[in-house]
Amino acid sequence: MGRAVAIIGTGQTKHGRRNDVSYPELVREAVIAALEDAGITFKDIEGVVHGTMPSMMEGISDTHLYFADAMGAVGKPVLKTETCGSTGQSIAHCGFYWVASGTADIILVVGSEKMFEGDGQATMTTVADPWFTKQFSAGAPMVFTMQSMEWIYRFKIPEDKARDAAAIISVSNHENALKNPYAHLRQKVTIEEVKNAMIITYPVRLMDVCPASDGACAIIYASEDKAKKICKKPAWIKGLSFRGEEFFYGESNKSIWPSATEAAKEAYSQAGIHDPLKELDVAEIYNPFTYQEMIFYECFGFCPRGQAPDYVVKGTFLMDGQLPCDPSGGVLCTNPIGATGLIRLAEAVLQVTGKAGEHQVDGAKLALSHAMGGIDQFNGITIVGSEL
Amino acid sequence: MRRVGITQLAQSSGVESKENLMDLTYWVNKEVLDKVGLQRDELDCIIIASSDIFHSGLSCANAFDWDGAGAFMLEATRAEDSMFSFIYGCMRIMSGHFDTVLVTSIVKGSENAENDALTSFFADPFYLRPLGMNETTAAALQMRAYMQRYKITEEQCAKVVVKNLGNAVFNPHAHIKKKVSVEDVLNSKVICDPLKALECAPKSDGVVSIILASEDKAKELCDKPIWVKGFGSAMDHFNLGDRDLLNGQLPIAASHAYKMAGIRQPRKRIDMAEICEPYAFQELLWCEKLGFCDEGEGGKLIDSGETQMDGAFPINPSGGVLAMNPYVSRGMYRIVECALQIRGKAGEHQVDKKVKTALAHGTHGFAGQCHSVVILER
Repeated sequence: MGRAVAIIGTGQTKHGRRNDVSYPELVREAVIAALEDAGITFKDIEGVVHGTMPSMMEGISDTHLYFADAMGAVGKPVLKTETCGSTGQSIAHCGFYWVASGTADIILVVGSEKMFEGDGQATMTTVADPWFTKQFSAGAPMVFTMQSMEWIYRFKIPEDKARDAAAIISVSNHENALKNPYAHLRQKVTIEEVKNAMIITYPVRLMDVCPASDGACAIIYASEDKAKKICKKPAWIKGLSFRGEEFFYGESNKSIWPSATEAAKEAYSQAGIHDPLKELDVAEIYNPFTYQEMIFYECFGFCPRGQAPDYVVKGTFLMDGQLPCDPSGGVLCTNPIGATGLIRLAEAVLQVTGKAGEHQVDGAKLALSHAMGGIDQFNGITIVGSEL
Repeated sequence: MRRVGITQLAQSSGVESKENLMDLTYWVNKEVLDKVGLQRDELDCIIIASSDIFHSGLSCANAFDWDGAGAFMLEATRAEDSMFSFIYGCMRIMSGHFDTVLVTSIVKGSENAENDALTSFFADPFYLRPLGMNETTAAALQMRAYMQRYKITEEQCAKVVVKNLGNAVFNPHAHIKKKVSVEDVLNSKVICDPLKALECAPKSDGVVSIILASEDKAKELCDKPIWVKGFGSAMDHFNLGDRDLLNGQLPIAASHAYKMAGIRQPRKRIDMAEICEPYAFQELLWCEKLGFCDEGEGGKLIDSGETQMDGAFPINPSGGVLAMNPYVSRGMYRIVECALQIRGKAGEHQVDKKVKTALAHGTHGFAGQCHSVVILER
């Protein structure tokens, strides 16, 4: 169905606190890196897709206007799509459909955030409606902790067991980040340190939570013909999907998270995947919170409901496990929100094209990338493979 | 490439609605679904356009927009501008992955701050914003340059207001409707020299929905689909000082759309146009850039009377953005009006001539930093 579409280049900034560059310069850094990776120039780009978190994040609205020059978009068509935290996946999907439509052959997709120039948590409380929900909002941790507790109680998971598994996830993500030159937090942590870290919202502790980062990511899409001409080893889009639930948090069952479950199901059916645990080689899951990562394992069909902690303890999702998850160190170690979902895809591309360097999963051919957003409301998935 | 057709459309009025944003969204989207006889979960995809925090008081506006738009558990996404979402909706159908896409754009201007306060956030916080730059001040610079370079007169700019607000009297959805004279416009308060109050668009509510479909599906869903023949958009430099404000990127956006639609002589092939003119003079300037008249001849075009509703080349029979300005939605309102004119269903503001091909234009950013063009045909 439709034209085949490939990713022929990816670029990331060094993520972290980037006082050395302005916001447009940060964007430029990722764009140039992607062009160099693809071996093409601005002249080859036919259109640009951009997205970030909402305006208040950095105090500028409609940032595609601000970054027109940085993205090399002057004189070119631009589209801007945004869906909160899942923006990275939404802009990735937009680039895909643009090329698939046949109206362009090479499209640049850019996601960015410079979180040290704003107040991320204050911004996030404005996602809630001003009348009913906002009074109860305390940024991201409140929502994601509620979801984690709902899951723990729904499946009668002993709190200690969930705690231990979450600590393993934190330790392994931090270990992976040490091998990723772009990662923001690059430090070794121990199980004890995670379990004794400051409580943010019980039972979530400091090392269960992602940082706020400055960073940008860019990827370049090409049609089948162009990709085969330009790129020795493109990554092919195998499946993609986006689903969202009700706005009011209490209206859906977050312990089995329908949007995550259905988005995965749709993407698997497009990619012809029946047993994701066996067929996927690697997954880049949007994991700003350790406990929540386990809910994703279940929604994505990596393990039965309520059993994610057992699989985590078994080591299923470690670098040397059956399905390595977030070999990049994930969102837990790097989170420039508007770029984060796109970084997941860029990392999945690096894996299936064998370019991930020290955090390469050997022989990875099929990878899942994911992002989540809204008030625990949206999930987007893109699956890439090394074979057309 | 697959053909994309407009099957049905629905629009809210521009005046302040008693409904809250979610209900307003729901009613318009329900109306368009009822018109084609589909349930929301029979749609393949929904694309929402809305603004983040500045135009609805909520950030990540898609979170709130989702329910009213009917997007629960459907393939859906959100764009920052209604022309973007329309073009993206067309692309999704052209890709072959979807047969029906509902495109909706959502703004409730009556519930938030003035446009100038909001558009000042387009400016970067370090250089431009401290200078007081916003959409109006940028437009004033552009108008002054236009008057000086091409000897366009204030009277010619004022005539656009007289025409468009006069047209709006016949449009039941328009926000501002009144008969005004050139003198009324020239004597209205100076907002930002040389712009006068009546030359600046208001701030309006506006929810608008269109159901797009692939060729076969469109023919199944309605008697006479209106075909999307072409679209294009283009971006200009961010800094005003890097740009010639009278030579922006609109010709590029238009050339993409014309090429796709196979149009070589726009003035001959196109029967009427809906132009996004938040400031009166911009209708004249954009007409030049779209190739409807020669460079610097925008003033003569309005003088000729051809762009009147009963003229040879009607522009903005709906009343345009001067009569109704739901910021993010304003581009899609242009498309809706073109579709109504092509169908002959515009009612009292139906133009005199037969409309086969129509052009809709949208813009956002300072002095037309980003332009989009869509061409529709019977």
